[in-house]
Amino acid sequence: MQKLITGLAVGVVAIFVGSAGFALVQQMTKQFTLQSLGGNDISVEQALLVAQGAVDACKKDNSVITVAVVDHVGGVRFIVRGDGASPEMVDNARRKAYTARTFRQATSAWMERTAMDAKDEKGKLIDLYGQRLLENTIAQKGGMPIIWHNDAIGGVGVAGSKGGEEADEACAKAGVDAIADQLF
Amino acid sequence: MSHMSLMLKAAAAAVVLMIAPQVAQAQSSSGITSEQAMAALRAVQAYAKNDGSDPSLAVIDRDGNTVLLLAGNNAAPHNLGLAQRKAFTANQFKMKSIEWRDRTKPGTPQASERETPNAIPLGGGVPIMVGNEVIGAVGVSGTKGGQEGDTAGAQAGADAAAALVKRLQAQN
Repeated sequence: MQKLITGLAVGVVAIFVGSAGFALVQQMTKQFTLQSLGGNDISVEQALLVAQGAVDACKKDNSVITVAVVDHVGGVRFIVRGDGASPEMVDNARRKAYTARTFRQATSAWMERTAMDAKDEKGKLIDLYGQRLLENTIAQKGGMPIIWHNDAIGGVGVAGSKGGEEADEACAKAGVDAIADQLF
Repeated sequence: MSHMSLMLKAAAAAVVLMIAPQVAQAQSSSGITSEQAMAALRAVQAYAKNDGSDPSLAVIDRDGNTVLLLAGNNAAPHNLGLAQRKAFTANQFKMKSIEWRDRTKPGTPQASERETPNAIPLGGGVPIMVGNEVIGAVGVSGTKGGQEGDTAGAQAGADAAAALVKRLQAQN
């Protein structure tokens, strides 16, 4: 009888300890999972540095540009319109940034991949043109992704430079380079 | 006679040509520049630092077009859109959006003004004033002080932008 009671007591204690331990592990895993979801996003401070970098690069030929920086889900983090730029430039720059962010590559590279007649290295038709029909994308050069730990945490889009889309892209790249020390 | 009318036409054309660039200049200088918009941003950020908040903001010109947008680091998805609509409201009705909210209270004859697309009866939009003229607006959303706090933040931004405009006017 005494043995049975001791056995039961030990069993009950074991269940308590076990479940407590399980709950603890569960709690720790939960925290870990939530933490790893946070932080992979471009901040206001970084966005302002990126924009400044792009504006400064484009100043070399006296270009007055419109710059947009989008966050890790493609939403607007920061936009500033160039002086005298037409109103639609704002959305133009935003869509370049969005396209670069969502496809994780320069819009120029994405344009090559999504061209009607684009072929892979074996000469097979890629046929990704349909991506160009997605809302908010734009097939224009001047969008660059902001990559951190192999993930796009944002994108920058430049519109309105004097040198056209090629120069837009160079300025966008200069913007990303402005925070290169933070992107490892 | 036809010689005379030709001369008149030439004179009229010359006058038009002389006026045209001046009109164009007057229009372009009435917009909010990126420098003025950035001054507004810095002022709102300074307000937010004291406040311990992380607001989103919008700066628009007198035509209602976007000059600057900023979404706070921890902003809720609605904050930026709200900031834009507050700025729109302040610019459109040429008063703080909190004043317009009170002016258009349900039951008042002005209540139906609230149906205006894009307008929003919430505090946080402040017109950028130069003298008696509204040249644009600042909208803020996401300070700690609710609609009054958003209004105070936007006021700081609008004042900073207006100060630069006045400085520019004094130079010219």
